[in-house]
Formats: sequence, C-alpha cells, structure tokens
Amino acid sequence: MEKKGGLMGWLDKRLAVDALWKVMMSEYYLPKNINFLWSFGVLTMLVFVILVISGIFVLMYYKPDSHMAFDSVNKTIMMDVAYGWVFRHVHAVGASIMFLVLFIHMGRGIYYGSYKAPREVVWVTGFILFVLMSATAFTGYLLPWGQMSYWAAQTITTLFSKIPFIGPDLVIWIRGNYIVEDATLTRFFALHVTLLPALILVFTAIHLYAVRVVGSNNEDGIPMTKEEKKEKGIPFWPVFMSKEYFVMSVFLLFFFFLVFFNYKFAMDPINFQPADYLQTPPHIYPEWYFLAFYEVLRGFFFSETLGLIGFVLSMFLPLFLPWLDTSPYPYISGKHRPLFKIMWWIFVVDFIALTILGKLPPTGLFAWLGLITSLVYFAFFIALPIISKIEKKKVASGGGQ
Amino acid sequence: MKELKILAVLIVIVGVTYWGIEPLAHSIMHKHIEEAIHKYHLPDYEFSDLGSTPPLDGDPAKGKEAFQMFCASCHGLKADGIPAPMDPKTAAMSFGVVPPDLSNITSYTDKKFLFHFIKDPAKASEFKKIAMPAMGLQDEQIADIIAYLDSKAKKVHGEELFKEACGRCHGAKYQKIYAETPPDALKKYLGKVPPDLSIIMKAKGEHYLVAFINKPQALLPGTSMPRVGLNKEATEDLMKYLDEISDPHKEQRQKVGIIVLAYMLVMIGLTYAWKKKIWKNIH
Repeated sequence: MEKKGGLMGWLDKRLAVDALWKVMMSEYYLPKNINFLWSFGVLTMLVFVILVISGIFVLMYYKPDSHMAFDSVNKTIMMDVAYGWVFRHVHAVGASIMFLVLFIHMGRGIYYGSYKAPREVVWVTGFILFVLMSATAFTGYLLPWGQMSYWAAQTITTLFSKIPFIGPDLVIWIRGNYIVEDATLTRFFALHVTLLPALILVFTAIHLYAVRVVGSNNEDGIPMTKEEKKEKGIPFWPVFMSKEYFVMSVFLLFFFFLVFFNYKFAMDPINFQPADYLQTPPHIYPEWYFLAFYEVLRGFFFSETLGLIGFVLSMFLPLFLPWLDTSPYPYISGKHRPLFKIMWWIFVVDFIALTILGKLPPTGLFAWLGLITSLVYFAFFIALPIISKIEKKKVASGGGQ
Repeated sequence: MKELKILAVLIVIVGVTYWGIEPLAHSIMHKHIEEAIHKYHLPDYEFSDLGSTPPLDGDPAKGKEAFQMFCASCHGLKADGIPAPMDPKTAAMSFGVVPPDLSNITSYTDKKFLFHFIKDPAKASEFKKIAMPAMGLQDEQIADIIAYLDSKAKKVHGEELFKEACGRCHGAKYQKIYAETPPDALKKYLGKVPPDLSIIMKAKGEHYLVAFINKPQALLPGTSMPRVGLNKEATEDLMKYLDEISDPHKEQRQKVGIIVLAYMLVMIGLTYAWKKKIWKNIH
C-alpha cells in the first residue's frame, strides 16, 4: 500500500480506512449484466436516511400523549413550525414509498433467484428488515392519533386475541389497557423511535456485509467467482454508483412530486379527524402496503381462524423461499426457468389484486374474489417445490438449461 | 432499451395499483354519497323540497313590531340595538343551544328557506329536536319579519361568517374560536359534541362539505346537524375560509414544490452526464 500523509493517512494507520473503502466500495465488483432494478437496494437506504432526518425534526415537536398528539401533529408541526409541514409530508410519503421500493427490491430478488444459494443469509436478513420496517410503519401510523390511526391499531391488535390460550391476556399486555389508549400510544412511540430503527440499522449492516461476502446476483443468475467479477465486472465505486446517483435523482423527482403535489395517498383524509373510541369509521383499512396481507386475512370470510392462519403464513412464508425452491439449475435466474417465470407473474398480478381488494368492502363479489386471490397467493409457494422437482428430473435426463 | 422496457412495466404495475387503491376504492366506498348528491341535485340552493313561498315583499316597520312580539324573547338583534334577552350560558341551559343574534341572518341564509324555517323549524331544518318551536305566524307576518331583518343585515365574510353561521355549535380551536354554546349543553341537545372544524376541509373535502351543509340528512341520515339554509354566496365564502384555515401553507407548498422539482431536474441532468462520462469506456 502506498504511503499517504495528511488526515487520511493518519486515519488509515488507526482505522484501516483504505482497506475498508476497497472492500466496501472501490474493489467490490458487480457483474455487468444487471439492470437498474439492482439500484433499489441503495434506494431503500436513501429513503431510510430521509425518514430518519425528517423523523428527528418531527420528533422535536411531537407530543406522545393521547390528549396532545393530534394537535401537536396537525397544529404545531403542520401550521406553527416553519416548514414543519415539509418534514411531516416527507416523513409520511417516505414511509409509504419505502414499501414501494422494498416491494420492487424483493420482487427483483425473487424473479432473478437472488434468494437461492449462496445468498440465503442475504434473503433472510432482508426479510427481517422487511418485518422490522412493517413494525416501524405500524407503530408510527398510530402516532398522529387520527381516526384511522386509532382504528387500524385497534383492529390489528385485536388479531392477537385469537391466539389460543394466551390471546386475550396478550392483547391487554400489548395495549397496556383494555382498549387502545394513552399507554398504547406511548409504547408504540417508544418502539417507533428507539428499538425498531436501531434494529433496522443492525440488520442493514449484516445485510450489507452478507452481500459483500457472496456478491451480487445478475440477470442471468450465472454464478461468478470474485475473480471473474473483477475481470468482467464493474467496481461498485465509482462505476455502479455513478449510475445509482442518476437513478436516485429520477427517484427523488418522483418522491418530491408526491411530497408537494400528491400526498393524499399517504395521508388519509379520515386521519385528519381526531381518534374517537366511540365512533367506528364506516371503512377501516390499513395503509396500502399492508392491504394484500390484510385481504388474505379477510379472504377466508367463512372462518376467522383460517383467515388468521392465512394472514400469518402470507407474511412469513417468503422467509422460507430459499428452502422451498431447491431447483438444481445452475443459472438461478427466473429468466431461464419458464415454469418459475409464469408462477412469478401470476404471483405479482395476484399481489396487486389482493392490494386493491384489500381496500374495498368485503361483500358480495369482492368477498369471493378475495378468497380466490388469497388461494392463488399460496399457489406460488406450493408450486416452488413442484417446479423444483420437475427441473430436477430435466437435469437428470440431461435436459434443462 | 431493455431498461426502458423494465421501467415501463414498473410504471404500469404501480399505476394500476394506485388506480385501484385510490380512485377505484374511493368511488366504491363513497358510492352512497355520490348517489345522494345525484338524487337530490345537491347543492340545491332553491331548497326545492320545501315548496314555494308567497312573495317576500313585506313591510320592515310592521316586521319590527312582529319581531319584538314573537322573536325578541329569545333572539337579539344587535344591529338595531335589541340585545339578547339572556346571557349565552343561561340561554344554553334553557334551550340546549344559544339562540342566534339575527342581525345578519338574511345575508347568509336563503330567504325562501328562512320563510319555511320560521313557519316550521323542525321540517325545514330536517331536525326534529330543534330548539325553536313553530310560532304559528301568518305568511304576511313572516314576510314582514324577513323584510325587517333584511333591512338591517350586512354582509359578513370569513371568520365573522364562520362564527355567525356555524359558531354556536362548532369551534375552530386552531383559530382560537370556541363554540358559543358550552360543550355539555351541546352534548345534551345533540347527543354528542359537534366536531371542531379547524381542519375539517382536509378530512372531508369541499365536494362533500358543500353537499352536507346543504342537506345533512341526505348524506348522513340521522345526523344531529340541522339544515341551516346557507345561500350559495355564503357557502362559497365559508368554503374558502375553511380551506385557508385547514391548509395555511398551500401557497408556500406550491412555490417550494416547484423549486425543489426544478432542482431535481438539474440534478438528473448532472448525474446523467457523470454516468455517461464514467460508463463511456465500459461495455
């Protein structure tokens, strides 16, 4: 290593910043055959940073008290604090867009087989990040203490009461009261601003570390060694990041358009009415990113227990993807697996259908559509072992890719 | 090219989802509201369900006499030096709600509606428990009273209009406006404390509010909000005020929004140029 003076040299002697920079950035090689969907990982980090910064500013004026929360958000932050409204809009839209970016990031991971060996740990830590992010979004949504905040929290916490034996006690333990009240607000606030973001940071670090060890997948799912990537690939810095900055700029244009001109999808009008435990709104629905799972819950309209089991499975089945899909094809990408590709597209269309149905009243035709789409959701996970078996046979008979 | 195709697919997926969870979902969830608006042709500033009125060309002088005889035991008319007979608290205790001072009533209430209201308050307001009884007046007497009220009324706008038209039951606490009638009295009278209207425009939107104020029972059957017969001009003035107080930074938001978007466009140009430069020798 060449000798360097100055601050960087001083730091390098003590912290080995040069080596770190090389491992993380300038000598971390990516394959060339990747498209802009590979930029969405860094985009999630960008959105997370945006959420933390805007979060700190709204935190300065927010009051986690059931008598003050609504006014501290809608009066103090939105009206009195200079540019407080910017930070609230950014925080609300950011939370929503985080899930759009996450869904694209995960959808890309599934399509190109990025969850398969040797990237299981990347997939699992990523999935844990998704769960943590969901928990952060759910606890955060209660904080403005509006009608939908309140009733979404009331409805979702009620689900825990269906757990055998401990259910009813568990709900009271979670809420800290018989209904969602001040105690619930305060503890959701505590989790939202301390434990959950801290855990997200920890798992982001593990996720990134794991990616640095096994390297990025590529469009064709061709396994590449580090040497091959170094020879044929591109370094993360500056080549990949120069493209990433362009993607970020386009993304931010879209993001700020939403923040300033189309924020209603992330700030439901009903939530501008203060929480009232005596008045149930005519339609209760979660934020859009939970609608698909919520629809699986309602989809089995004839049995509450079945719905609840389906709901839990729908959220946690994706964790087991690496072990459901045991296909021996050397090219792991869905691009080269026709059966898998068909199932992936059915899954995506079904997920969109579930999301849309999740907001509609579950009556008549919608109830039946909900049941069908819920069943199709699971078809993907049931199909994976079957597809794997078919592909194993093909490989055994000398066919396949 | 391939990346543009992927982007197009993404845009279609996101677009369809957005269409489903926003316009489609709202059109289905709010169907009954649109149906009611369509059925009653709301807002109906003619209040056509109440029928016609005789010509409202009464005599203000006779009207004043009638007013003092029939109205002044509950209502004041400060514009003509007639004070309210009771202080607000006592009035609220006796009637359930503070009776309005009628100085400017004809400037924001439709006169035909006012005629029907004086004739039969419960019927015109579509609120059975309304505090004012039918006074059994002759049509000419009512016309005289309206002519008298009209001779004293002056136009009110914005906050003043809000206080006169809504402020006996509703407050707007973010503007430090509190309902004239104490909350306990209102709860007894209406069954619940009416909502604060500080940010009601954000919660309900102008489309709904205009129709709801015009005919509450059509949109929310069983509500204890009476029909108050606001005329078109006053309704529009009120909407403007409610929009201003619920979203005081609208202008700033649009201005800053344009600047930020312009800045991002420049950034797109710069980052694209840098990407081109770095990637020139790669492929």
